[in-house]
Amino acid sequence: MSRILTMLVAMATIVVALAGGVATAYLVGGFVEAHGFTGASRLTNIVFLMLVFVMIIATLLTLAERKWSAFMQDRVGPNRARLGIPGLKNRSLGGIPHIITDVLKMLTKEDFIPGMANRFLFNLGPLLAFAPVFALFAVVPAGPTVTVLGQKVDMVVATPDFGILYLFAIASLAVYGTALAGWSSNNKFALLGGVRASAQMISYEVALGLSLVGLFLTFSSVQLPALVGDVANALSPATGQGQYLWSTQVFGLDIGIPAWGFIIQPLGFIGFFVASFAETKRAPFDVPEGESEIIGYFVEYSGMKFGMFMISEFVEVVVLAGVTTALFFGGHNLPIFGEALANNAFMQEHGWVYGTILGTVFWLKVLFLIWVQLVIRWTFPRFRYDQIQSLGWKILLPVGLVNVFVTAALVLWDPSLRALGVVGILEIAVFVALTLSKKENSEAGAHGDAHGHDHGHAAPAGAHADPHPSAAGAH
Amino acid sequence: MADSAKPEAHAPNPDIDSYAHESELEAHLQTKSMVINMGPSHPATHGTVRLKVELDGETITKIDPEIGFLHRGFQKSCENVTWTQCLPYTDRLNYLSAMMNNFGFLNAVEKLIGLEIPERAQYIRVIGSELHRLTDHLTCVGATGLEMGGFAPFLYGMEARELIQDRVTELTGARLTTSFGRVGGINRDLPEGWIAKVHKTLTRTEELLVEMDGLLTRNRIFVDRTKDTGVITADDAIDYGWTGPALRACGVDYDIRKVRPYWVYERFDFDVPVGEHGDNYDRYLVRLEEMRQSIRILRQAMDTIPAGPIIVDDWRIALPPKPEVYGTIEGVMAHFKLVMEGIQVPPGEVYDSTEASNGELGWYLVSDGRGRPYKVHVRAPGFPVLAALPHIITGKMLPDLVPTFDTINMIGGEVEQ
Repeated sequence: MSRILTMLVAMATIVVALAGGVATAYLVGGFVEAHGFTGASRLTNIVFLMLVFVMIIATLLTLAERKWSAFMQDRVGPNRARLGIPGLKNRSLGGIPHIITDVLKMLTKEDFIPGMANRFLFNLGPLLAFAPVFALFAVVPAGPTVTVLGQKVDMVVATPDFGILYLFAIASLAVYGTALAGWSSNNKFALLGGVRASAQMISYEVALGLSLVGLFLTFSSVQLPALVGDVANALSPATGQGQYLWSTQVFGLDIGIPAWGFIIQPLGFIGFFVASFAETKRAPFDVPEGESEIIGYFVEYSGMKFGMFMISEFVEVVVLAGVTTALFFGGHNLPIFGEALANNAFMQEHGWVYGTILGTVFWLKVLFLIWVQLVIRWTFPRFRYDQIQSLGWKILLPVGLVNVFVTAALVLWDPSLRALGVVGILEIAVFVALTLSKKENSEAGAHGDAHGHDHGHAAPAGAHADPHPSAAGAH
Repeated sequence: MADSAKPEAHAPNPDIDSYAHESELEAHLQTKSMVINMGPSHPATHGTVRLKVELDGETITKIDPEIGFLHRGFQKSCENVTWTQCLPYTDRLNYLSAMMNNFGFLNAVEKLIGLEIPERAQYIRVIGSELHRLTDHLTCVGATGLEMGGFAPFLYGMEARELIQDRVTELTGARLTTSFGRVGGINRDLPEGWIAKVHKTLTRTEELLVEMDGLLTRNRIFVDRTKDTGVITADDAIDYGWTGPALRACGVDYDIRKVRPYWVYERFDFDVPVGEHGDNYDRYLVRLEEMRQSIRILRQAMDTIPAGPIIVDDWRIALPPKPEVYGTIEGVMAHFKLVMEGIQVPPGEVYDSTEASNGELGWYLVSDGRGRPYKVHVRAPGFPVLAALPHIITGKMLPDLVPTFDTINMIGGEVEQ
């Protein structure tokens, strides 16, 4: 009971903290636009989005992951570290002090460089692994464009024309850090890890890119703010994922099924999520680390250099959640009541309140997707190296290709996207049905008679059940 | 490194042939296989065993298990102590299931003496053995999950194991090194209220088994990783001398508890799970099912355990009761002679085996009648299993080594003695 209360309090704290952060970001953005120069809010966005939000969430994730995994495994999780402050001495504070101890430990450990390692590349590795994932968030819009203090303020660092292509380009740079770390350590285990990482990350980039083509076709854009879109208001119709597939008005409030990416592009969503999961190198795709086989590409790293690899993994988790939210979960848009809120006179007058609400919605969606990733991480065992390749090339790639053609045909046939929505909902229903049927089979098969127990080796559902194990977990 | 690669006669080896570099530009890129050391200190090597693995890319071309890091001179040590004093050494063979080693050794000594132990002692031995079979299998299945990246099944297994070890502690006084039982029976009766506690523990263990089962058995990734990897045919397995769950996973229905029942095993109703393919998945399934069967045996044994003495009433073998030692001259003398000279096991030799958690735990004992073993040899079930590892894994991928090494469940302590 106290655990549930603690979690509720923690959730409320998180929502309040997010709302406070977003409100501050909007107000400061409006202030510097008004008193500084045009475009100054983009600079504050760098600070707020990338340093405050992404970094703080990633830092807290180091604890959240351990706490959540403990929760899943009937453990208590980290609770030993204490703050030596009177009054707090005997409180575990949910393990928060562990973050401080971790950081201190990383910073004060010996920075060991193996004798035969290539020093320059060895030092470059963690930086190359860290910087690209950190820069990824630049194009992700974390809130609507609103008017604050008479100035238009948006919640994105950059809106280049090439939009999501920036994401692909920068994401593929991360492989250098990993491969270099593995190679320059002059350690055979690390080398194996580096080779595995480069093969895996490069092959999954193909599937990653392909899985999003359907989405580009649907919304005719590669820019993330355009993909996220806006709800309809008095001046302009809805765009992007802000529009409804079907909607109706109830007591002056709008409800309906929004045109979110995962509804109209479920295959694209699964492909993207799996592929980007593989890019983050977390379980079940953690063969480059493979701690029980080859210890990992960072086996020779110690101290803060190792910490850079770890924190970049967590930043990747946040960025992946952010990008997925923007692409497939409607970004900052509300599922229902979006138009009512946008056209509310108070909201139109006080833009920053509107921005705060929707910005908080965005970050809550991000947190949800982070949670999904944690659950997947702690549920599934690790793939084998060649199974990862065959999943990428033999399943995700063809599925992505089929998705492109089907999407193109449906968009051509019905530009209102409703046909796409019907097909998408059917696909989701099929996935749910497959997932559920698998469960029944496992119950029937696992408790068979002791003697012919193993004869049901190739269970009927096992063969076709789920080519996307991690995505099935997400549903 | 280079000598084992065995280049063909006409291909110059760049490492040793100086003329190799003359035609270097025309030659194909020279490749060299990589030798890595897994262990003796490596997350996947239980205990300390060292696997010298030669890799071509990720494919294992040669593997050489090197044992001996845990060698403690078990057999020689036993020759210097009395039969009863051997008991603590047997704890350290398979440290995951110490009671099975204890009881197996005692059983062999009793066979050498020609002694029938009281019925209650036989029941307690069955209960202790099956409890430790559970802990051993839980560790094995949990570690299989862990080393493939699934941390949760391992911790579920550990929770059940901790509960069982609490019960074992209540019974024997120790968590791992139980040294339980004596020649002729058991040294300590079941504690009061213990059986009810064990029933509770078993219920919780069953729940946790369902969780582990649900996380692994139908998990696509787990099935892909384990099915058709680490395959050995039944014939090969027999040739290598495999026994226990690993052999049964190949489809050979051989369980000493059924084939040649000892103690009171024939009174219990239990099944012996048999696999089909001899791969990692079947070994995993067999172990999982054996745990359920162990729970069945335990419940039956605890429900039907008779009252009565727990050790033979023979002062040449069992220590006399304390009132006799303190009160009578016969008691003192028997106590003194037993402690100082040991049990006078008649001269002779014997081979006896019991079904330990990983297979046939055999004891070859020779006595020269002087109160100390002349020779103690253990047929450790882990040794043949480990010996077959190169046969199984050569030509397969490095990631296959990990589940294979887990499911054969070689225990360093007993292999290296």
